This record gives sequence, structure tokens and C-alpha cells, in this order.
Amino acid sequence: MKPKDTFLSARGQAIYWFAAILLIFTAFPFFWMVSTSFKPLREIFVSPPYLLPKDFTLANFDRLFEQTRFLIYFKNSLFVSTSAVVFTMAIASAGAYSLTRFKFYGREKIASLILFTYMFAPIMIVIPFYVLIKKIGIANTHFALIMAYTAFCLPFSLWLLRAFFQSIPLVLEEAALVDGATRFRAVFHVILPLALPGIIATAIFTFILAWNDYIFVRILITSDHLKTLSVGIADLYNATVIDWGMIMSGGMLITIPVLAFFIFIQRYLIAGWGTGAVKG
Amino acid sequence: MRVSPQKAGILLITPSVFLICALLVYPVLYGVWLSFFKKHSFFPEQKFVGLANYLYLLRDSDFWMSLWYGTFYSVSTIVLQIVVGLIAALLLNEAFRGRNFVRGVVLFPYMIPTVVAIILWKWLLNNQFGLVNYLLLALGIIDDPLSWMGKDYIMTSLIIISVWEFFPFVVLSVLARLQTIPPVLYEAAKVDGAGPWNRFIHVTLPQLRNVLFVVILLRSIWMFTKFDTVWLLTQGGGAEKYIRTLPVYAYMRTFMYYQAGLGSTLAVIMFGILIASTTLYFKMFRREEGI
Repeated sequence: MKPKDTFLSARGQAIYWFAAILLIFTAFPFFWMVSTSFKPLREIFVSPPYLLPKDFTLANFDRLFEQTRFLIYFKNSLFVSTSAVVFTMAIASAGAYSLTRFKFYGREKIASLILFTYMFAPIMIVIPFYVLIKKIGIANTHFALIMAYTAFCLPFSLWLLRAFFQSIPLVLEEAALVDGATRFRAVFHVILPLALPGIIATAIFTFILAWNDYIFVRILITSDHLKTLSVGIADLYNATVIDWGMIMSGGMLITIPVLAFFIFIQRYLIAGWGTGAVKG
Repeated sequence: MRVSPQKAGILLITPSVFLICALLVYPVLYGVWLSFFKKHSFFPEQKFVGLANYLYLLRDSDFWMSLWYGTFYSVSTIVLQIVVGLIAALLLNEAFRGRNFVRGVVLFPYMIPTVVAIILWKWLLNNQFGLVNYLLLALGIIDDPLSWMGKDYIMTSLIIISVWEFFPFVVLSVLARLQTIPPVLYEAAKVDGAGPWNRFIHVTLPQLRNVLFVVILLRSIWMFTKFDTVWLLTQGGGAEKYIRTLPVYAYMRTFMYYQAGLGSTLAVIMFGILIASTTLYFKMFRREEGI
């Protein structure tokens, strides 16, 4: 028995070492961002660096709120991302329901079209998109941005919701219909409650995609007061002296909503992943 | 009011199809059309020039350079993502205390805005005050601070950042599949006397074949067309020239030189390369079963 025990513990130890390395590799940059954002200026540039702030301060956040339009960017991001989620979910839920519950001519072709457009990357559409938006005259509006996100999120939302709807047995609905419920009531009382986790997960993925976007805002928005967070933070580098403390505090504040949502959906993640939940 | 199922189905899918066609498919086709024009990015004038944009790019050394940088960047980051992601997934499939916590944290880099990934790493890799240079100096690995954002190391920095940001995608896809491999297969292999390495090669890898096929496909498409991570590292300044991949070059032509026609041509070429290589990829590797 003895040799086997040592073998197992060696294996166990190796697993812990690898896990520790993996954890440091992924999490340490975040830790460093948080730590830096609470450090006073002199500690940020001190050598050897301190792991944790000695003189805990909120001065970086004060500068972020006073010297930049961070709060306006935050509000813009929230508005644009939420609107994109509402539009996308309304359109994609109807579409996915149709793809899984009705038979009609061209259904499979539409599914292939969706899968094909799911592979589009922003850079392949932004240039003509920009020229078209200019032509219509809605450049530099949040509306253009919301349309762009809705269009861009639709393929993967449809694909994901389709998978969720497919996993709900058809018989449940048929039973409700046989019992005399209208199609609307069947959907509302039978399908919706069962599909809700999938709908929430899809909505959050859409939100994260819109919230994280950089290229569409960079191209479609020129007025500073309409910018969203990604571009707002990236532009902090344009200053002559880079204020690392302020940038880190901004980075931390953009990350919080995403990670909060992420922790919330983590349990749906594995289910969604195989069906193409995320892109980028 | 009764609607026939056929009609109801079409009615419900119409908004999706309309938006996808109007805002995704049409712009791509419009981009193809624009590629035959000399077109200023801001002003409405445009002049038909036939294939002049394509011919111009054939002789443009910046184009060939960006194609090379783009290919080098995508191939190296894809290989590293797959290797790191696969190892991490195998590890996270083992039972150990705190596993769920690590599983969650490993996905963070993929979820955060790219701009955050960039500021984190630009700070860590700062040549004067960055922690990475400090540690390398303290450990005696280097004698002088490395200029991570300088021309010699910027591609290395970009690759490190990109692998960090995108390997979680591989982890999750592979992990989801690993969890469905029947343990019976491993037991049978053990009975046959297969060691850990042989079990990996003969049991695990064949089971992962399909998921790896899809992961490599998606990651290749997205790395080859990756714009924000590459662009944000320099925002067009400093050693930008040494990481100017095809997407960045298309962006610069359109929004810095205001040549929307030429920018569209670059996007079309990118699209063409992707379609050609995915077709080839399918032909080469997907002879047998469906996914």
C-alpha cells in the first residue's frame, strides 16, 4: 500500500501546484489592478513595490470622478447595453421560438444563415456599416450603437435560445393546447417559466458583449458626452502623463458589473457554452 | 383570430431575418461593392475604379507586412491558447478542494472588457514601474529592464496578453466535453495496462476531437479578425507598426487615411482568406462524423 500512497500524494501535490500557478496567472493581474487603484501616487511608483497599499486611499477614484466624465460614460454604457439587451431578447426570443416550434419553408436555410453570420467579426462589417450610417445620417447617436449591438448579438442569441427552447419538450405545450389553452397562454404559462434561465443567461451574454465593445463606439461616436466606458477609459492614455492610479480605478469600476453578472450566470455557462454562448 | 402555424412561424422569425440581412449581410455585400470605388471616409463622393484597390494592395508592402503579422499573431496565439487551455481543462477536470472556485476565476479574463485586459497588462509590463520587469530583475533573469512596448518585444507582449484573455474559451469548451467522457473507457484502458500518457493519447484526445475541431475553427476566425486587443495596445502610437495586423491596417486605412474604399478592400480580402481557409479546413479534417 505504501508506494501507492506516496504516488497519490505526489499526484495530489502536483495538482495543487498547477492549480496555484493557474490561479496566479489568471487572477493576479486583477488583484494588482485593485491594489494599485487604492494606492497613493508615491506608493504606485515605489521600488520594491508593495503588494498591498500601506496608505489606503480613495484619491484615485476622486480624480476619476472629478477630472474625467467617467460617470457620464458609465451612464451611457448602461443605457446602450440595456437597450441592446431589450431589443435583442425581444427579437431573438420570437425568432428562436419560431425556429423550434413551427415548420415552414426555408427554416433550415434560416438556421444556416444565422450560424454563418454568427462567425462575422466586427471588423468585417464596421467599415461599410459606418459608411451606411453616415448616409442615413444617424452617425454619432446612441441609436446607431444600439442597432449595431442588436444586429451583432442577434445570431448568437438566436443560436443559444434555440438550443434552450429545443430542450423544452414539445409535449408540455401540446398538453396545454389540448387542454384548451390558447397558444399565447401556453407560451406564457408553460414555456416561458421553463425557458427563463436560458433567456436570462442569453440576456447577460448580450449585455456583456455590448458593455465590453470598443470598436463600434470608437467608430460610430464622435461626441465626448455620448461615449461609453471602453472608449472613455482607452482615451485616458491620451494624457501627456499617464495617471496609472486613476486608470486602474476606472478599470476596476468597469469590471465590477461584468463580473457580478458573470458570477450570477456561471451555473448556466457550461450548458450554454457548447451551443455557442460567447464570441469574440 | 387563428393564424396558421406556417404563417405564425414566418411572422415570428421575420424581424430576426430582416435585421440580420439589413445590418450584417447587407453591410458585408456593400463592403464588396465599396471595394471597387475610391471613396473618402467622410465625404459622399466616390469614383468607380474597378480592381484598382486590389491591384494597389498587391504592390503595397504594408499590406503584405500586415498579412504576415496577422498570420503570425493568429497562429501563435491559437497554438498557445489550445495548449494552455487544454492543460488547464484537464487540471480542472481532476477532483481537488477549491476546484469550483478556480473554475470560476479562470474564466474572468474572457469576460472582462478588452480595454481592461490591456490596461492591466500595460501596467504590469510597464518598462519603468512594471511588476514583471521588477520580478525579472530581482530574480536575476535579466540585467536591464525590458522594453515590453518597444519594437523588439511588443509582439511577445501582445501574444501573452491575447493568450491570457482568450484561453478561457478553450478551457470551458474542453471542460464541458471532458465531463461527458464515460469513466468506463478509462477503466478499460487501465485494465489493458495503459499508463496516464497512453490513456490521454488513446482515450481522451479522440473524445476531444470534435470539440477541438470547433474550438480551433472559431478561435482561428476570431483571432485572425481580432481588432480591439491589438489596436488598444498601442492605439496607433509607439511600436504600432510591429503589430499592425490585417484588421488594424484596414481600420487605419479607413479612419486615419480616410480611404474607405481601400479599407473595404482589405476587409473583403480578410473575408476571402477566411472563407478559403475554413473551406480547406473542413475538407481536410471533417471527413468523417458530424459534430
